[in-house]
Amino acid sequence: MTKAHLTNTIDVEVANKARIKRRSKNKSFVKLSTIKMLHKWLSLLVFIQLFIWLGTGLFFNLMDHDKARGSQYLQALTTIEIDHHRLVNITELLAQSSKPVVSVDLVQRLSQPYYLLSHEKGLYQHLYQDNSLINAYSGQTKQVDDVMAQAIAKASYSGSADVVAITLVHPPIADLLKEKNSVWQVDFADEVNTSVYVNANSARLIAHSNDDKRFVDFFFMLHFMDYSLLSDERGFNNWQIMFFALITLLFCLTGLIWTIELAVKGRYKWS
Amino acid sequence: MSWHRTSRKYHKWLMLFIGVQFIVWAFSGAYMVVMDIDYIHGDSLLAKQNEHIESKQVNYSVKQLLNAYPEAKNIQLAMMLEQPVYHFKIANKAQLVSAKNGKFLSPISKTLAVEIAKQAYVNKNITVYAVSLISEQTSREQTSRELSVRNLPVWRIDFDDFASPTLYISVNSGKLVTKRHSFWRFFDWMFAFHVMDYIDESADNNLLLVFTLLALLASIFGLVLTYFRTIKVGGKTKPKAKRKDGSKSRAKVKPTVKARNKLPIVDIVKKVNDD
Repeated sequence: MTKAHLTNTIDVEVANKARIKRRSKNKSFVKLSTIKMLHKWLSLLVFIQLFIWLGTGLFFNLMDHDKARGSQYLQALTTIEIDHHRLVNITELLAQSSKPVVSVDLVQRLSQPYYLLSHEKGLYQHLYQDNSLINAYSGQTKQVDDVMAQAIAKASYSGSADVVAITLVHPPIADLLKEKNSVWQVDFADEVNTSVYVNANSARLIAHSNDDKRFVDFFFMLHFMDYSLLSDERGFNNWQIMFFALITLLFCLTGLIWTIELAVKGRYKWS
Repeated sequence: MSWHRTSRKYHKWLMLFIGVQFIVWAFSGAYMVVMDIDYIHGDSLLAKQNEHIESKQVNYSVKQLLNAYPEAKNIQLAMMLEQPVYHFKIANKAQLVSAKNGKFLSPISKTLAVEIAKQAYVNKNITVYAVSLISEQTSREQTSRELSVRNLPVWRIDFDDFASPTLYISVNSGKLVTKRHSFWRFFDWMFAFHVMDYIDESADNNLLLVFTLLALLASIFGLVLTYFRTIKVGGKTKPKAKRKDGSKSRAKVKPTVKARNKLPIVDIVKKVNDD
């Protein structure tokens, strides 16, 4: 074999390899261009929500977490010693109850012991429940009226502002999205517009809310895309966030592929 | 440099460093919203409990209970395995007493815990394959993610079912503390990744702050690029100049870096041939 032959063979081999490489490159380039086109057009679709996510995310990072609880004026409810000699026998109450009972709690409301008979309850306190509140000393059923709700709200309130409104509210309740029970809303005239919520069935203190918490809730609504566009049902797993989350995932993946391509092609150079 | 070129440069560079976190945010976020939150909480693992209290079975009164345990707080009468029991607390420690005969029942045995768990579990045909006692003394690592320390000690009951469900039964109260399964565990990790909880324990960590700020910056540059490449196309910009930016057309015009690197070898071979 002559030198010329040898170099010729190498030449052909190199040319073949280059051709194969070019072909495979052209093939992958079709895909890459699709990915880049997707990235461009998806950006137009998601950018508003993407900025909302980043902005609200930044807010959650920087916000005052204590203020976000809405419990600026919350104080612990006081309890008293129960005089157990005066207690009515539970078995009598059970026998008298027209509805079946799943549990009985000895609770205190405004320094008065009550038996809280649960006829129906869910896994969590915010789920639907049906109770009877019975004075544990007299055995009389107690209706949770506005007077009682206001007194409980005041007992849990450490501020000095007056009550401006008492309303019986039913779900959905803007301040308590998960709540499935009717509750008394007691509004105070303080600088953060504190609202105190008391379960209208059990007189249990549910929560305090105020403008600070409502402000944070607004940001959560934005972050979770919980705009309730098509229905009253609000929630974490709503269709708009599922759609945008998946689109955004695709958007980010196309960006990742683009970045990898740039790196492979040596386009990241310090200059 | 034009707005377009500046944005391209900074978008490219910033995303090299924080792009991975974008993938993490997008993936973890998508997982968390696509999975039904009640399912994640394991609500569907539990059978509906509607055991009613039989007044005839309650022979031990609250009076007697308070006589015996004057310090008792948060007293509750409920059913446990078809028997009425009193749950209460003494100095924040859960206690359990039979409402039938006043017998002190806590701490509950392993056998009882398994029975309680089996009754609570939705599918009665599923077998329990592992039971372990977790207290403050035992390794916290395995449980710290799954339940809070204040619930200890607990019996951990693992079911031989889809997604490895676990029920935790309080040793002192005999009550179900919590329920966990694989999808919850994965969700928990996803949340940690979403808030970049790699070092700190909360969502207000500085790593997250820095990344969010950089992400905002990178996204603003990205938005400028979106403007130039999707909206302004066909407007002021010259088609030729615009095409130069698109990598698709560039590939046709210029050889790629790798191909260019190959050129000298071909040249050498050619030269040898020519000689």
